[in-house]
Amino acid sequence: MTQRKMKWFGLAMTSILAVSLSACGGGGSAATNASGGGASAEPTGGDGSKSAENVTITFQNIFPDASDPKNKMLKKIVAQYESENQNVKIELDTLNTDQQKLKLKTQAASKEVPDITVVNPAAQMQPFVDADLFAPLNDMVEENGLKDTFQSGLLDYYTFDGNLYALPDGNNIGVVYYNKKLMEEGGVEVPTTFEEMIEAVKTLKSKGIQPMVIGEKDSWTGSFLFMNILLRTNDGPGFLQDVMDGKKTFEDPAYVEAIAAFQELVQAGAFQDGATSFDYNAGENLFKTGKAAMYYMGSWATGGIETAEVSKDGNVGVFQFPTVNGKGDPDEFMLAPGSAFAISKDSEHLEETKDFLNYFMLKFPQEAFDVKGAVGIAQNVEGDFKAAGYSDMAMDVLDLFEKVKGGDLAFDNTMNPGTTQAHLSGTQSLFVEQKDPAAVAKEQQAAYEDNK
Amino acid sequence: MNVLKVSRWTIAAFILPCLIVYVGLVFIPILVSLYSGLLDWNGIGQSTFVGFDNYVRMLTNDSVFWPSLRRTFTLAGFSMLVQVPVALLVAILITRFVRRPNFLVSSYFLPVILSVAIIGQLWKTIYNPASMGGMINGILTSIGLESWTHSWLTEPNVAIYAIILVSLWQYLGYHILIQFTGIQNIPDEIYEAAKIDGADGFKADRYITLPMVLPILKISIVLSFIGSLQSFDLIMVMTGGGPAHATEVLASHMYNMSFLTMKYGYGSAIANVLITICLITTVLINFLFNRVDKRYS
Repeated sequence: MTQRKMKWFGLAMTSILAVSLSACGGGGSAATNASGGGASAEPTGGDGSKSAENVTITFQNIFPDASDPKNKMLKKIVAQYESENQNVKIELDTLNTDQQKLKLKTQAASKEVPDITVVNPAAQMQPFVDADLFAPLNDMVEENGLKDTFQSGLLDYYTFDGNLYALPDGNNIGVVYYNKKLMEEGGVEVPTTFEEMIEAVKTLKSKGIQPMVIGEKDSWTGSFLFMNILLRTNDGPGFLQDVMDGKKTFEDPAYVEAIAAFQELVQAGAFQDGATSFDYNAGENLFKTGKAAMYYMGSWATGGIETAEVSKDGNVGVFQFPTVNGKGDPDEFMLAPGSAFAISKDSEHLEETKDFLNYFMLKFPQEAFDVKGAVGIAQNVEGDFKAAGYSDMAMDVLDLFEKVKGGDLAFDNTMNPGTTQAHLSGTQSLFVEQKDPAAVAKEQQAAYEDNK
Repeated sequence: MNVLKVSRWTIAAFILPCLIVYVGLVFIPILVSLYSGLLDWNGIGQSTFVGFDNYVRMLTNDSVFWPSLRRTFTLAGFSMLVQVPVALLVAILITRFVRRPNFLVSSYFLPVILSVAIIGQLWKTIYNPASMGGMINGILTSIGLESWTHSWLTEPNVAIYAIILVSLWQYLGYHILIQFTGIQNIPDEIYEAAKIDGADGFKADRYITLPMVLPILKISIVLSFIGSLQSFDLIMVMTGGGPAHATEVLASHMYNMSFLTMKYGYGSAIANVLITICLITTVLINFLFNRVDKRYS
């Protein structure tokens, strides 16, 4: 009796082990699974379409939010193109940003990149370019004068060894948004130096007003702000480039000073309690719902803030990040060339795909302008923003764009992923404990050498 | 042995589909990951064979690996030593004192079927600072225990325990259900016979319920242990491994390495360590229980 029972339990145990192990090995099997997932994203019309009669193009994109104007715009342009080119069908593979990043990586591992996909500039797209996955767009961008629609110099971030591999949809700068009403209640002015900013933070804090908010669970947010401080303490752009060229190290005084300044801001109580458990959206929502006085972010946030409740009666203003310890030039900004569309080198319908993307990018600026999404796009827009009903804040942001005299890219767009992750968690740690800036800098240098 | 009197070929034919799926989805990926653990590979481009470099690095020069291993085992320990016994106690109490237990058991089971993302968001709100309407801190403040308030998810020393609590809470109902069913299956005659012999109440639990529910308890323990070894989703939702790796466990470390740091080979090496630990502990638990089993049979 017991013997028989034991056997059954043995069987049960084995099956449980089987199940748990399969889950256990999940991480390792991601690549293999992905080949299955990737296959479905492949152009489905592949079989009968060699004659270029019926063509299906897979368009991976990151505009999943149906209430986002960009989503509607995307569908509109695609529908237009399809009606003008009856033989072409555009299949949208719409994902949110993080999903798309992951999916593309797994697809790339099995060399099944969709016809059109989305990548980030500079260092972030380097591995994909090195793996020879994308088609050069040098000839395509010349057609129909597409190249001239882009802001000058912007395409450089997507160009490797003289070959252009992707076309960006955005180009943004780091700015500080502020809630006019809360600033007034706290009796503080828009700070023109970092020292004033710290004072403003303390004053606001003492009056029970949340000075700043941040979504530091997504650690790039803190890094973006930190890099702006570094842009000042280094008295100009190019610090990371100098590190990579071997001219400087992370233990350089400018870097240490930036950590110290950043820490001072955190210790002054600038950010909300538990900032490291707020993700990007949750952090931004605090500002959008009028719970904080200041918010540092890329200008891509303009659209969202503009339509939020806090912006009623022109309540939100925007200012340039101030000088730090008297160093730096406020007209130098954190530059954030946006995510960009790239075309798979192995696309079955390379010509048609290029033709479509060319069409798409040509239509992009005007359509974006019409849905009030033209602040911070990569291309020059013709049109009267004011007359089209853009808000005062949007106009202010556009004015700041005029002032840009140069600046730095975000950390992850400059350095390799390994160094970046060390930097991100190092910056995040400043939110939870006080550290010796020199020690943090030293750790960063070690991580950099480790990942070289 | 062959009580069903069917040919070996028939047995093979019935086993084969499952076996193929099992091998294809479990063994082959494990083999692939064993191999990629030996590579220096970013997951996209060229890979170089580096032998056991990844493992050497992991064991000697990775400041995140050992702490996350320790946390993984803390989590597993808590769920084995706290969650399962509590579940057993609740199951015994329900069987003994509740006349219509189904509703209670289902309510305890409810969190298990909720998505982890929802659970995570829910508890994040509960853990929030009082100024953001966090429930725990709000209660503590209102009863005058302000010094006990923490920002639960962002203090490096506290955060992991805050997450462990949530995971224990979520899966408690699962183990209650398993053990409740196990206790229900014990024949009533045994209790009646024991009652005549003078063993009643908790004495009966000690000498009848516990030994007879042992096999079920074993399943529960293995499930909870292995489940917590690979815990990942809750941590990703609640803290993402932060602040600064303070809540990183092996699985999340593996994910970060493979997909954020783009060291796919290194991530695979961590995965392999995780697989090995899963295997060893399963065998170990089985071995221990077999010994306990023998004592009682």
